[in-house]
Amino acid sequence: MWGRATAGALAGFVLAAALVGLVGRLWPGPWQATLVPGMVALFPLWIGIAAAAFRFGSGLRAWAWIGGSAVVTLGALWLLQATGWVA
Amino acid sequence: MKLRAETLRVYTAVHSWVGLVAGFALFVAFYAGAITMFHHELPVWQSSAVDAQPESIADAQRLLDEMLARHEGARTHLGLGFPGAESAQASAWWLDTQGVWQFSTLDTLQGSPVPPTSSLAELVNLLHYSLGIPMVGTWLMGVVSLLYGLALVTGVVIHLPKLAKDLFALRPGRNLKRFWQDAHNVIGVLSLPAHVMFAVTGAVLCLAFVLIPLLNPLVYDGKLMAAVPAAMDTAPVVAASGEPAAMQPLAQWHERSVAIAREHGIEDFEPAYLKLQHGGDANAVVEITGETSRALGALGSVAFDAVSGEVLAVQLQGARDANHATLQATYALHFGEFGNHVVQWLYFLLGLAGAFLFYSGNLLWIESRRKRRAIEQGRSSRVMARATVGVCIGVCVAISASFVAAQLAPMLGLDSTAAERWACFGAWALCALWAALRAPSRAVRELLWLAALVTLAIPLAHGIASGWWLWKAAVAGHWVLVTVDAMAIALAAGFVALARASARRAREGDPNSVWADPLPAR
Repeated sequence: MWGRATAGALAGFVLAAALVGLVGRLWPGPWQATLVPGMVALFPLWIGIAAAAFRFGSGLRAWAWIGGSAVVTLGALWLLQATGWVA
Repeated sequence: MKLRAETLRVYTAVHSWVGLVAGFALFVAFYAGAITMFHHELPVWQSSAVDAQPESIADAQRLLDEMLARHEGARTHLGLGFPGAESAQASAWWLDTQGVWQFSTLDTLQGSPVPPTSSLAELVNLLHYSLGIPMVGTWLMGVVSLLYGLALVTGVVIHLPKLAKDLFALRPGRNLKRFWQDAHNVIGVLSLPAHVMFAVTGAVLCLAFVLIPLLNPLVYDGKLMAAVPAAMDTAPVVAASGEPAAMQPLAQWHERSVAIAREHGIEDFEPAYLKLQHGGDANAVVEITGETSRALGALGSVAFDAVSGEVLAVQLQGARDANHATLQATYALHFGEFGNHVVQWLYFLLGLAGAFLFYSGNLLWIESRRKRRAIEQGRSSRVMARATVGVCIGVCVAISASFVAAQLAPMLGLDSTAAERWACFGAWALCALWAALRAPSRAVRELLWLAALVTLAIPLAHGIASGWWLWKAAVAGHWVLVTVDAMAIALAAGFVALARASARRAREGDPNSVWADPLPAR
């Protein structure tokens, strides 16, 4: 139970934050224009991921899937930021 | 919908653990939050300043000049509430050089850390968003909001297979667990939209500023800090020039803000408060926030040069960006500041219904661990019963005690703010101690009777202290005073009904329970 709980709370936070950041950057217009909507969306996303984490068979699986998705999403966001493809 | 048995089992476990951890804090937040719905009425009730003539804009100007002359912190940033329907007196607030918020009116030019006439409303609000714990209390309540969200998701999933079929089922009878389960479910499902909204907006209000330093390097490339002021405030951040300059008078600002709003098609802009940066400097900027009817997110604001009056930025209904629209909607939804008094009372009822949801959750926890064939119950059930009674009913007594103290303290020559806090936390601690020492079945009805008595003392104390007895206030048409007294009487009646029900259950209910009276010694 603790493995899945921490996967949702910690890796889930990074995944939710990275998703908010990625969508905000890909959204038409400057990323600053969607800061507050992004902040509001962050919490239901985080809670949803934390709830979904308990559907995995074990803590290890939850960490692998959620942590893996977080790394991929965050990587994509950082790549966009570093290359400046999307301003 | 079919769910795997495993999912159901795990979600049930998560739901009851999250409820156990967050339920007490949520009870306090909802009960205090329901009363906080009257935070505009409470200062008027506390000071009975119903006959006070609102101050004029000239008085507000005098307060502004005094603040800028006296307080260094106020020259950097000063807030000022216009005198009006909400508060007869103009009020000012600023961050002093130690970083503490100070509040002033024309009567208290030196400033004080608690607004003088609204100490009671502040205390109830403090309990609502921080349980009265300084600093970390707000973060704690932010985490509680997240757990609350998790409890909502898991609760809905568990209940989903029977959600539609059992919606209006309330089955009293021998199976008490089913009765409480039905009550818990129906309240939870019918107020679910409000609960989802409170969980999300509560987390935003408590945690947004805590998470900003974390999100900044993680997803915003270190550029978040520079972007936040433009997203949250209307006025641009400017640096002081160091050159003093004469600012336009306050009355002119007031007119100017109304005129700018009218240019944007808003006819009923009513300035509520202003924020002044670098007052008295050549670069001074003023931002005026006002209310408009018929809008979700009723507050809009305009910012202009305090010296020349040149418009710098506008965030008004129909003319604001996504950031400001979302922010105002978040505030308005959480605080119920839209619509009219129906919304206010509806939020009050939703708050009490929410408190019931968490209380019944604890009862279910105890009921599902009940030993059905033994008088003696398990340790965990007894501890849970004591904690539920001490914390939940205790806080009801505590808040009512602070109301009584707010009225009686000035008569006895005591400092009102201190007296309210002592009464509140003192009463809460004593109730918890009482619940820890007495059998739960006895403590619950004794504390409920106490809550009824103390709550009924609220209109009495108000009558004694101010002469505004309920009927006198009603005849004079002072509905603000009537509202608070009526709320107290309604709550007291509720406590009496609960006390009687608890007594009946202790006498006549199944003896194999923590809620049954212990049998007389043989």
